[in-house]
Amino acid sequence: MNTPLKRRQFLRSSTALIALPSLESFGFRKFASAAAPATPPKRLVFLGFGWGITTESWYPDITQKGTGYTLPAGLQPLARHKADFTIVQGLWNKYSNQGHAGSTFWLTGANRYAQPGQNFHNSISVDQVAAAQLGRETRFASIQLNGEGNMEGSGHGPGLSMAWDVSGKPVAGQNGPLAAYHRLFSKDTTPIEQQKAMLAQKRSVLDTVLENARAMQRGLGKTDNAKLDEYFQGIRDIETRLSKDEQWIGVPQPNAPMSEPKPGLAGREEIKIMYDIILAALQTDSTRVLTYRQPVSTLLTSIGIKVAPHDMSHYHSTMGEKQEASQKRDLTQSELLAGLIDKLKTTKEADGTTLFDHTALAYGSNIRTEHNLDNCPTLLTGGGAGIKLGHNLVVSKDTPLCNAWLTLLNGVGVDAERHGDSTGVLKELIA
Amino acid sequence: MRFPFRLFLPAALLCVSSVHSEKEPPAVMNEKHRAVLQTYCVGCHGAEKQKGKFRMDELSYTLTDLETAERWQKVLNQINSGEMPPEDEKQPPGDAKADLLDDLANVMVVARRHLGDQQGVITMRRLNQREYKNTLRELLDADINVSELPGDVSPGGFDTAGAGLFMSGNQFEQYQSLGREALDEAFERQAAAGVEKKFHWEAEETSANVRKYVQVEIDARERAQQWQKLVEAAAAQPENSAIMTQIRKESKNDAIFRRSWAKIPGAPAPEGFGFKTEENNADKANAALTPTYLPYHQYYLTYPALDTGAYLTMQTVHPSVLQIGWMTLLVPFNWPVGDYVVRVRIAGNEHATPERRFLEFGIDPRNNGQVLSTHEVTGTMDAPQIIEIPLTMTRKQTDRGDRMLFIREKGSNDTNELTYARLNEGKKRNGIGPELALWVDWMEIERVPTAAKPVAPGIHALRIALDDKSPAPTTPELRGALERFALEAFRGTPAPSSYIDRLLAFYEVRRKAGDKHSAALKDTLAIILSSPMFLYLAEPATDEQHRALTGAELATRLSYFLWSAPPDDMLRNLAKNGELMKPAVLAAQTNRLLDDARSQGFVRAFVYQWLGLDRLDFFQLNLVLHPRFDGSTKLAAKNEVYETFNYELRHNGSLRDLLKADYVVINSVLANYYGIPGVKGDAFQKVVLPKNSPRGGLLGMAAVHLMGGNGERTSPVERGAWVLRKLLNDPPPPAPANVPAITRLAGKVLTSRERLLAHQEEPQCASCHRKIDPIGFGLENFDAVGEWRTEDSYEATDANGKPQPKTKKTWTIEPAATMHKGPAFKDYLGLRDIIAARSDAFAKGFSNALVEYALGRPCGFKDEPLIENMRHEAGKKDLSVREFIHALVSSKEFHTK
Repeated sequence: MNTPLKRRQFLRSSTALIALPSLESFGFRKFASAAAPATPPKRLVFLGFGWGITTESWYPDITQKGTGYTLPAGLQPLARHKADFTIVQGLWNKYSNQGHAGSTFWLTGANRYAQPGQNFHNSISVDQVAAAQLGRETRFASIQLNGEGNMEGSGHGPGLSMAWDVSGKPVAGQNGPLAAYHRLFSKDTTPIEQQKAMLAQKRSVLDTVLENARAMQRGLGKTDNAKLDEYFQGIRDIETRLSKDEQWIGVPQPNAPMSEPKPGLAGREEIKIMYDIILAALQTDSTRVLTYRQPVSTLLTSIGIKVAPHDMSHYHSTMGEKQEASQKRDLTQSELLAGLIDKLKTTKEADGTTLFDHTALAYGSNIRTEHNLDNCPTLLTGGGAGIKLGHNLVVSKDTPLCNAWLTLLNGVGVDAERHGDSTGVLKELIA
Repeated sequence: MRFPFRLFLPAALLCVSSVHSEKEPPAVMNEKHRAVLQTYCVGCHGAEKQKGKFRMDELSYTLTDLETAERWQKVLNQINSGEMPPEDEKQPPGDAKADLLDDLANVMVVARRHLGDQQGVITMRRLNQREYKNTLRELLDADINVSELPGDVSPGGFDTAGAGLFMSGNQFEQYQSLGREALDEAFERQAAAGVEKKFHWEAEETSANVRKYVQVEIDARERAQQWQKLVEAAAAQPENSAIMTQIRKESKNDAIFRRSWAKIPGAPAPEGFGFKTEENNADKANAALTPTYLPYHQYYLTYPALDTGAYLTMQTVHPSVLQIGWMTLLVPFNWPVGDYVVRVRIAGNEHATPERRFLEFGIDPRNNGQVLSTHEVTGTMDAPQIIEIPLTMTRKQTDRGDRMLFIREKGSNDTNELTYARLNEGKKRNGIGPELALWVDWMEIERVPTAAKPVAPGIHALRIALDDKSPAPTTPELRGALERFALEAFRGTPAPSSYIDRLLAFYEVRRKAGDKHSAALKDTLAIILSSPMFLYLAEPATDEQHRALTGAELATRLSYFLWSAPPDDMLRNLAKNGELMKPAVLAAQTNRLLDDARSQGFVRAFVYQWLGLDRLDFFQLNLVLHPRFDGSTKLAAKNEVYETFNYELRHNGSLRDLLKADYVVINSVLANYYGIPGVKGDAFQKVVLPKNSPRGGLLGMAAVHLMGGNGERTSPVERGAWVLRKLLNDPPPPAPANVPAITRLAGKVLTSRERLLAHQEEPQCASCHRKIDPIGFGLENFDAVGEWRTEDSYEATDANGKPQPKTKKTWTIEPAATMHKGPAFKDYLGLRDIIAARSDAFAKGFSNALVEYALGRPCGFKDEPLIENMRHEAGKKDLSVREFIHALVSSKEFHTK
């Protein structure tokens, strides 16, 4: 078996030598959790709600630009935070053509058909871009959350979460509050020596399957090699995680600032608890990047709506109960968001500021309503990215949504020049 | 030698297809639209103005690169959304606009396909979710639940397409734990192979419970009446009149008034009469006064043979109080995993009409109680029958619910709503409730010892002790075991010895860490089950040149095509000795695989994806509107699609019969549902139809019509699009983004046809709907659950979803319509004939689907000769379904990496 040092430095993949972080860089965070950093870190959160919103009652009047706008009915539950969020109108992902995919390309802006020879392509999502930098010092580089159970009817489209990795492959997430809670806060009571031995064993498993992969790799053509590369990449991801685990051995898991969620929560209650978990994850600095693909189908059931979610988004054909269902959904979602903002504002950081001051949060979907993919609903809040708050910001029609993502990335200190199909930052959004 | 002339060796084929190997003609926009675009667009988007930096005049009409395709997509989007031409500019005439949009949308589809063509390259793939499960089953004889693995939804293709089957670190860990789970299961099965268990339960226990419960209800009512009398007497006391006026004012009925007994001086507490609850004690007493189902329970007791058995009926009161809606059998917690058989001795009495002659079997009756199988009851009270139901118990079944088996009458307890509807229907009819139809004598469960069965190949390969009591194997013994297991798991490819070294080292580390032999062994074997050579179907090729497959690769490709499972010994041996490369042997093996039960792995997965059956589970059925379409019927309707295909496959049936046939392949549940007499038994069987029956072929199937609706109402658009997509091989372009909705008709009460005709008003809609809608109209005689109807109605609902009877409109269905640029038909049978006459298109779509499924890559232009050849070969035998498969299996493409 290789010595751990050697293997960690170079993990031969089929196409390249992959350098993993050197041992020195592993050590430094070990003590960091004991003393809070002087300046609270920046965080980034994305909340996506599949089937869009009710166009007529969710957007502020586009003629009332700036801060003096009248809050529309769909955002009324957010009235107390009006000065602290901005609605951006006119953004879209120009390549999106899928009327049933509210989340697949929302954070990536990718062109599904960009790759000749493939009928599905995606690229890295903005949260993963941020995680590569913001995630270095936390136990989890990023956390992906999903609604519990079958997410079929929620209008999110293909994907395992809202996150897509650097090669445009889907990143799996935690489904439902219970799984998320355990991922974040379950205590590991195993003695340190044993934890180390277990790590060594896990590495030995990886060594063995890599041996097998290399044997198989011989003689594979280019396309197949690229396919097997996913396997190497998967193993490398585990390696990276194991290295990180090693770095965190002996650092106790934080106490969860909340109790374990009850099993079987669905819809509104589920989202509410998931928001608490997001808050807890940020508060304990377990991660600084989160995405949450919210349940829509069960949300409707939980607020007594019988209309099928897809039919609801097609409310234009009948108006009546379908539109009302759509509006009721908007209200509930706004209420839930208002609750989360309340908590972000009241949760104190070590230096007396609040979590809200250091978090950038985006709330929206690739779908506006029905199959419409223009003017993607976009609500931005939090002081983390240094953006203007309290505005009804109307940008020129069909501005890339990725310009907003780029603005957030730069705002939280991630040095990116472009993202997806971005053409630049949204200057008018910067405070 | 059944097919001596048709099969040729791969090498011979290379020259056959070279004739066709020129490039696909690119997607070209029809020149006839140039004039329209010139007139209405170039004014602003030409050399002079260049608005939005977009020039129409320079746009190439040949779409060969991504950029041109994107620009045309932009044109399509802008016209679809109504943004262009701007409102205040002159507009093109509706027809010209619809034609333009129609052509452009289709050109975009061609361009996308062209730009996405893999040029025949088959990407190496991992086992998909189903294949992974089947492979573990074949290797270890272990049935495990793999639903935690990510679903393999390949966007727009089959779950066999390698390019869409991803792998991630998370997934690797899932493979490790699922592999470990399968090994646990297999080891346990092996250990318990000889165990025999049996439990017998007599149903009269239920009758005794009903008898007891009737006594309880009568007794409680008497006590409640005594209490009621005394409360009323106290209330009548003159000195209580002031307080009584107050109480009466606050109570809207007598029950609520009695809830305030404590405020009435002299009124006794319900506790004294045996009614104890935590909240208000009066509630129980009030309920006991009106035992809603007492008459029904008493009616139950009037039936014969209660001392030797009991009846199945609808659940009345809460099952914790009295369980009569179903009978249960708990598999004891200490009984091992393995194969079981459940037996029920049962009879139908004079009330067992054809509708009420079915028994449902399932697990976990209280929590959504899924039906696993439905059985026709043919026994009579004089001669009851014994129904036998096979069952597999696994390690995962640890909860009480997972071990609680149930039987019930078909459709009796699908949902509470439906049960109440049935109880009320009976009560309305006879004043009491539904008659009892099914009588059960006893139930039993027995574990079937498997000691005589051959051991699973993976376990057989080990040939070392699996338990911790025997001495642990020596290193050479273990090495041999790991080598043989890996050989089996890797489908005949030997594992490199450096790999076996690492496995041995891992085992040793685990042993030194204190693990017992069996645990260390299972963890080691789990590594094999998450190694690439197990997870991927590799066909190494040193360059991008197509090369012929080796025998072993061909065996693997064939068995994953026709079984979704690994090749068995016979196939592997024929591959090894070169026999499989002989056309006659290959054809015989293809037949053998298709005749084997494992071919269900192909039939179900292929048909499900080819015909888009996922839509069957997209929505909740409205059982109150469609009470006959209960869980058992839905299950049978779904199986009808598979079983019909299966029938054609097994009997050299024609693909044509899926479009139109004078027979159906159904079981007794569906025969009853469709009203077809003379069908007996649970097995699906061919039944000849009476003349002019709307059944026969896919379009006569309840499942197909269910998909073409939302479980409540039909959707002619969904149906028309399905027919175009699946039967006529003329798929409409994907629903365009950003088309403004037609809001003019919102809230109006209209016939379906009136509503859909609005599509013709807007060119953006008409461009697709003129093709889709007429077909949908022709299918309107089938309701949302596929029952034949001649009338339809619509009722507006208020904001709370409550129907407004005053708005109800009923109309006679007019199925007559004219296909876009095609013939007219006057009714469903006419439409069916038009569709049946296009069996060539259907055969093309089917061949395409087969190629994509079997080869795991999209069909491209270069596959045209293959598709043509498949149609041609099958055409010689009346489009026999099996011939398509033979033609594909014998093709060069199937033999080539």
